[in-house]
Order: sequence, then structure tokens, then C-alpha cells
Amino acid sequence: MARVEDGTLLAGQGRFAADAAEGAHQVVFVRSTEPHADILGIDTAAARAMPGVLGVYTAADLGLDGARLPVLTTPNPAFAEATGFQMAEQRIPLLATERVHYVGQPIVVLIATDRYRAEDAAEAVTVSYRGRAPVTDAATALEAEPLYDHLADNEIARIGYSFGDPENAFGRAHRVVSGEYRIGRHGAVPLETRGAVARPDRRLRRVDLTTSTQIPHLVRNAVRTVTGWAEHEIVVHVPDVGGGFGTKANVYAEEIVLAVLARQTGFDLAWIEDRQEHLLSAAQGRDQVHRTRLAVDGQGRILAWGDEFLVDVGAGSLWVAGIVANTAVHALGPYRIPAVRMSGRAVLTTKTIVAQYRGAGRPEAAFALERTLDAAAAELGIGTARIREINLLTDTDLPYPRPIPYRDGEPIVYDGWDYRACLTKVRDLLPETERERLRAEHPGALLGYGLGCYLEATARGPYETARLRVLDDGAVELATGAAAAGQGHATVFGRVAATALGIPEDRVRYRPTDTERLPDGIGTFASRSAVVAGSAVHNGAMRLLDRARALAQEVLGGPVEYAGGVFRRGEAEIGLGGIAAHTRGDPTALDVTETYRPRTVTWTMGVHAAIVAVDRRSGMLSVLRYAVAHEGGNELDPEIVRGQILGGVAQGIGGSLFEEYGYAPSGQPLSTTFAAYHLPLSTDVPNVAVAHLHVDTPDNPIGARGAGESGTIAAYPAIAAAVDDALGGRIHCAATPLDPGLIHGALRKAAVLA
Amino acid sequence: MKPAEFTYYRPESVGEALHGLATLPDPKPLAGGQSLLTLMNLRLARPATLLDIGRFTELARVFDDTEALVLGALVRHRTCETDPLVAARAPLLHAAAGHIGHLGIRNQGTIGGSLAHADPAAELPLAAVTLGATVHVESATRGKRALSAEELFVSFYANSLEPDELITWITVPAIRPGQGWGFVEYARQHGDYALAGAGVLLSLDARGRIAGLRIGLLNAADRPLLFDEREGTAPVLGELPEPRLWEGLGWRLAALSEPSHPDTEYVKALCASAISEAAEAATERAGENT
Repeated sequence: MARVEDGTLLAGQGRFAADAAEGAHQVVFVRSTEPHADILGIDTAAARAMPGVLGVYTAADLGLDGARLPVLTTPNPAFAEATGFQMAEQRIPLLATERVHYVGQPIVVLIATDRYRAEDAAEAVTVSYRGRAPVTDAATALEAEPLYDHLADNEIARIGYSFGDPENAFGRAHRVVSGEYRIGRHGAVPLETRGAVARPDRRLRRVDLTTSTQIPHLVRNAVRTVTGWAEHEIVVHVPDVGGGFGTKANVYAEEIVLAVLARQTGFDLAWIEDRQEHLLSAAQGRDQVHRTRLAVDGQGRILAWGDEFLVDVGAGSLWVAGIVANTAVHALGPYRIPAVRMSGRAVLTTKTIVAQYRGAGRPEAAFALERTLDAAAAELGIGTARIREINLLTDTDLPYPRPIPYRDGEPIVYDGWDYRACLTKVRDLLPETERERLRAEHPGALLGYGLGCYLEATARGPYETARLRVLDDGAVELATGAAAAGQGHATVFGRVAATALGIPEDRVRYRPTDTERLPDGIGTFASRSAVVAGSAVHNGAMRLLDRARALAQEVLGGPVEYAGGVFRRGEAEIGLGGIAAHTRGDPTALDVTETYRPRTVTWTMGVHAAIVAVDRRSGMLSVLRYAVAHEGGNELDPEIVRGQILGGVAQGIGGSLFEEYGYAPSGQPLSTTFAAYHLPLSTDVPNVAVAHLHVDTPDNPIGARGAGESGTIAAYPAIAAAVDDALGGRIHCAATPLDPGLIHGALRKAAVLA
Repeated sequence: MKPAEFTYYRPESVGEALHGLATLPDPKPLAGGQSLLTLMNLRLARPATLLDIGRFTELARVFDDTEALVLGALVRHRTCETDPLVAARAPLLHAAAGHIGHLGIRNQGTIGGSLAHADPAAELPLAAVTLGATVHVESATRGKRALSAEELFVSFYANSLEPDELITWITVPAIRPGQGWGFVEYARQHGDYALAGAGVLLSLDARGRIAGLRIGLLNAADRPLLFDEREGTAPVLGELPEPRLWEGLGWRLAALSEPSHPDTEYVKALCASAISEAAEAATERAGENT
């Protein structure tokens, strides 16, 4: 069944940021060409004199000297206390003035009558630099001179906790396996790049900013923090968004500067990022190294788990607290683990800034734990399925508390049903015997089977909002604080509202998020929207119905029956539209803004299985079969849940096999075009079999759990494990993207030995 | 990603185009634009004049000559990939064309443009040197001349043409009885540039022994690398074409390559595999083509 959105989007009638740019002047940013340097001077005179150029501005010209990007998340005090979380202050400027910290960092902004002239002028701006040493590696950064003057070193966040006497367990264990695992730097790379349009209104003294974002309210808040404007002076609108995946759940200097520039100049302004700019300067993700230790007994039971990780956040990350905490929490995995020692650090380097990318610490944590588990299985000579069977939490363990709080300060309790059932199910969907069957079809390849498990906290708070309003014909207008970026919010939230109100789905009008219609909200990320915004919609609809019922009783003079949008008392009846007309003098009567605050997160778990072919001659990889079995909640739209899994798997395959933001030792980025940054193609992604094991949660009114990141998290370890298996254990893949050269080397060594 | 300023000029005939190349400031011929326009958008190429020859239908034709296939410079990759005449007379060219980029690129890109662009990783330059193609060029002042494909390629993205010369036609020797061909490339993704690839043109004598052998490698040097009877393949002339022979030859020739990829050991191994795999295919086809 098509989504409500699809008719418009598939007909090319979507309205994206660039479609809102009509009549606006074009804005281009002059970006740093240096990874790390002092700025000695900025000469804009030549650019100002060029035809079609309407203005060229440094930070000082905009009164933004010293202005910084505000961080987007700070840790809950109880969580920080329990996990030893600490964070240093970050000073990422809006426009660099004294020093640059990555290639692509904005320095100057200019306005021209079209993008061609703007790019000509950008070339004519001269920035003089005095180079400083680049730092492209997190381990080096720990030893390097501080990249920011206000810091004593380059560590900007740390976490460390332990429970259950791990050292004793490591000392007494039957076996302790250790490893080092790395997930390369890559990112969302959505179909639509970033982009924003700012239109100032001098009489109202406000700026309307239409931006391709997942978090309009946080963008508005950041503009206000920087400028001191009142709430009514900056309204953020979300157009159709062609994918975000976390890279647009970030507030960007470009968005804030555009709003300031529009007000200062009075011009309507558009900044539509091009692809090269995106690959250079949009927030990136992952880039973690984990040093692990796992203690097991003779049967393979986990006795203790240790993980020491390092996150390279480039020149900074507004989400550093989230990424570090996510990693440290999700590294606990879906297993019975009695003792843990966890420590992590986030480090500054001279690479592009980092934000959350689908999974945001979870894929890295899963890669470390799952790969270490596979190493233990190999060490003990038991199968990779067997070691998971032994350790996965079952219905006798669950709900399963952990002795640390979650990021919201609430105690962690995994609220699943039976995680081992997901393993059984995925092996039904994709049995290992399928590998044998496929061998005949692929004589030139070695085939391997791999498994990967994940655990995910979804639906984090603190809250989300929804507004529902009855229109004069009885239809219901709906908006949510969680903005849509292609996920199908109109379909899903429309259905939640229609179900609660007992009206047909086509009687609900979903309005794209804007901060005027709905002044408060958080945004779409962290597998949260369906649950948190969905619950707000549900509760809001119920409240709207209560109000309507009270009004109907007033009009009809006593108790009423309700069905399908109409209240009845005997022969008399009044519909929602009738009540709206009746209360015309009080527009708030049938207009409800609801805030839903989840008690804490709800957990999902799943297992991925992959069959991967390794070409005997080239060591190159192809994923032949893929399956995911996951424990999830009430499916508000089963096709959309499935789509989330499929898209997540595609991105996981991309990160496992191809995608990487590379940097030369000189600090220059190497992946600034699609000739160098390789996205997964349709030919790289097989069909994915999905099984949804229903475990509805009583914790929210719609019984839902998050599913947005489930498809990505375990893809990396499952694919790596399949390559290990294909080579009969002659390799243990420990870094992504998987390197065919390394695999080929192992193949050749094996051939020489054989 | 917008190009720097340039003047766009669309001549009506080859003569006008040649005149423009000789007289206009810093001219660059635009054919399918699949490489040039990208480089211009990245501002890595900044010609003052773009001379659009893309609509000269006369140069988009393919002729069958007695012992050769004659292709206009504007023959699209997609034509090489789908034209039964190309498939019958120059099957290696036909096979190589199918590996270029994606369909949209093959619909636009032209053989003359690809040869002039001189990308050592590209398929058609490799096919041209392997097959011993002749490139015909014209200039308003210098007249016509013909050069071998090998002579055309100088270094990375550098050809031996004078600034006022235009590639007009390419002749490719047609496949003969007793000849077999092979084309193999290893790319990580469909449509991506190959890490390594080889084209092989093998001639067997009546006794089934190797009478001629041309082997081209892509992405293995600053230009498509050719090994022929004068250089590289002479030691195997007169031998029986067996897998062991190909494997040994593959390693020997691969050792002479200079890949720009950082993992040279890996890429050289891929070159060796590509040569032996393509040579095995060529052997089989030569046996069938009597």
C-alpha cells in the first residue's frame, strides 16, 4: 500500500528546500582549504567588486565574531555520576576568524545573484594561512598539542564505569580473548544535500527559515542562543526532506549565518549545498576504535567484558555526549554479562565535524562486542550461533536490569521477551545450509555465513509534541514536533490520529513541522519519532475527543454516543465539524497541543544473518543473502517498519563494504566526490528477509518500539563474520570498510600454504 | 560545483569546428561531456571556449571495412555495447564498452572523447591499444594524420594531439579467423572504475600454437599499458596456450605495471589474475574461431 506521501513525491511534486528558493539570492560559503592553520588575513575586496556580487561577509561583518555553535545534548546528572561521564567545553565558531580546524570549515559567506557568480566570487576571496600540524588520528591526537587554546588537551569527553568485579573474572577465566576493532569514518550522505532558505520580514521583525532538517526546534533555539532574538523573530519551517539519517539532526553554522545574514541585508537568501560541499563539510559519523577483552568459561559463557574505546569527533561534535554515552551503554549488548569494565574517550582531530549517524555509537559497540564474541567462539572451537545461544537473554532472564542508569538517569531494564527467539528465527529465515546450496551457483567464490546481534534503546525523551485541530469540515489537522525527513510521518501519525478519533485516515491532514504552529518540540532521531511523537498524537487525539464530547453534550443536551466523527443523542447528531462551527468564537476549543514524556526508553533487540561471497581471484565481496529477525513493538505501519529495516541494512552494507571518508597524512580529505566516496548501489544490496517478533510494550499508549536504526547496527559484524567464515577462519576481519586487498592477501597466503 | 565562465560555441560542420579549434581562445571540444563537464564543474578544467561537436551525426556512424571496423569519434559507448556489427567485428571493444560507468554515462559518452581524455583507468583506451586501433585526426592548418592508439596516450589525462587537432575517426582491425579475445576487469562495484583489468587479443596458428599476442592493462601505469610481440609477449610465441603459461605470463607482466593505488602488491596480483583470466577466455574463443 502506498504511503500518503508517495503520490506527491513520486510525481516529482515534492517541495524541497531548493524548491523554496525561488526569487532568493544565492549564498555560498568560502571554506577552509587547510586542515589546521592560523588565519593571517582575509581579503574580500576583489570578490566584492565582481559582477553580480551583493555582499561578502566575515564573522566580524555580521557581528558574529566569537559566536559559537551551542552543543545539542548534555548528560543527565544521575547518568554522569554513575558512569563517570565528563565533557569539556567546545568552541566551534560559526565562521572561523583566527584559526581553522578542518578542510571545509566556513570562513566567509557571500551573496550573489546566482550560484555561478557566487562561486566565481568565492574563488576571488583570499584567505592567508599559517599552517599548523594536521591531526588525522585519534590516538595521535591524545599526544598532540591542544587544537583549541581553551583546552589543556584534545580529549573532550570521557566515560568509565564498571560493575561485578571484572578483574577477578578476567584473572580466573577459562579463556580471555582480546582484540582491536575499528569502524571507519563514514556518514549518511542523503539523496538531498543540506540546504536552507531565509526570508526576512522587516515589518514583523522576523525571519522565516526553511531548512532541510530533522530538528527544526533545535535549529530555532540555536539561532536564538546566538542572536538573542525572541521566539517570534525566528520561525523554522521544514520542507520535504530527502533523507537525514542523523546528518540533518544537527544544527549547522550555515543555517544560523543564513538567518542572521537575511535579517542584516533584508534579502531573501538561499543556500543549497552541492555534493562536493556536502562530502566536505556536512557532519560525518562513526570513526571509533575499540580495544576489547572478553572472559569466558569452558562452555563459552561470558564471565566479564571489557571495552576501551576512542571516538574521533574531528573538529568537534555537538552530539559528543550522546555518541559517547550511546557507545558505552550499548556495548553491554543483549547478553547475560555479570561483570563489565567500560571506558571511552572522545578526541578532537582536524577532520570534519561529527554528528549522530544512524546508530550513533551502537554499530561501533555492536561491532566490538560481536566480533570479540566470534573470536571467543573460534578460540573455544564452538560455533558462532552456539556462543550466542548460550549467552543471549531469554524469557527467564527478561526483564533484565543492569546496574547503571540509562542516559535519562532512569535505571536500565531491558524490557524484551526472549532474545534467543530472534536468533532462532533469523536462522529459520536464513539457515546456514543456504550457504551450501549457493556454492553451486558461485563456483568462483568462497561463501561464508555470519551473525550479528544488537540491542537498542529506542524512543528516548525527554518529550515530544503534537498538535491536533478540528477544521470546519470535521477533518483534523495534525502536526508533530518530530519533523519528517522521508520516514512517512503523514502516513503513520495520520493513522494514529485517525484510529484514536475513529475517523477515516483521509480525514487527517498532516502539516509539515514549523516552529510557529508548534512552538515546542525535539525532533526526529534516535529511533524515537514513532513512539514518542506517535504517543503524543494518540494522547492528543484522545484529549481532543474528550473536549468534543463535552461540547457535543452541551449542544445535544445530555449523554452522547460517538462513532466515526459524529456524536449522537437519539435522533439528534453533531459531527466534529459541527462542533467546530459551534465553537467558532473560541478557536482553542478543538485545538489541542499535547506533550508526551516517556518514562524511559524502550529496548529492541534483533539478529542479522548474512551470506557473503568472496571472489577467489580478487578478494572482492558481495552480499548474497540477508535476513533480520527483530523484537519490536506494535507496528503502526508494517511496510514502513520493513522499509526502515531494509534501508538500514543498505546503509550497513555500505559502511561495511565501501563507504569511508579518507584523509591523507597531509590532513586533506580524499573523499570529496562520488568517484571516491562509494555508496552502496542497488546491485550491492540483496533482498532482505525480515521477521518482526511482536512484543508490544505497555509503556506507551500505542504499544510501539523504535525501529529506525535496527537495520544498520548489526550489519557490520554480521558481514565481517561471514567473510571470516568464507575464508575458513584464515582471517578475522577487525576493521570496516572491509579491505579486499587484505582479504586477497589472506587468500594468497592460504593458497601458498595449501 | 559550477564551472568557471566560458564561451559556448556550436559549429555547424566539422570544417567549422576545425576552424574554431584553430582560431578561438583556449578551445576545448565537447562531445558527450561525461568527463569534461565534471572536470569543469569541479573547476579542474577551465577552457575559455567550449566547442560543442556533439551533434555531428556524420561522426556518429559505424562502417564495416574489409579488414577493419571504422567508428566515428562520436559513436556512443552504448552503440559499441549494443551494435551487432561492433559485436561481430570488434568483440573486445563491444565487451569493454559494457563495463563503462552506468547506462546514462554510456548513452552520452563517445569513443573519441574517451580516447582524447586519456584516462589510464578507462576501458576504451585499453581496448584501442590492445586491438591496435588507428586514430585519425584533422586540423584546419595541419590537415589530416593518423596515429596509433599507443602513440596517442602520453600520460595521465594527456594525449599527443596538437591543440587544434580533433579526433574524427577510429579504425579498429577486425577480428580474424584464429583469433580470440578476452576482457576482464575487477571493480568493487558495478559501474565503478576497475582496480585492475586486462584485454587480450590472441592469434593461434594452424597447430594451435601462439602466433600473436597483445595484452593491455588498465589502471596499471600513467597510460594504458600494452604488451605485444615487440615487447613483453615474444617469449610465449610458438607455445601452446595453457593455463600454467598464462599464469606465469600474468605474473611476469604484472610485475612491470606501476599502479597508482596505494596497495601495489594487491593491484599487481589483480593484474596477473586479469591477464590469465582474459587469456584463458581468449584461448577458448580462438579455438572456436577457425
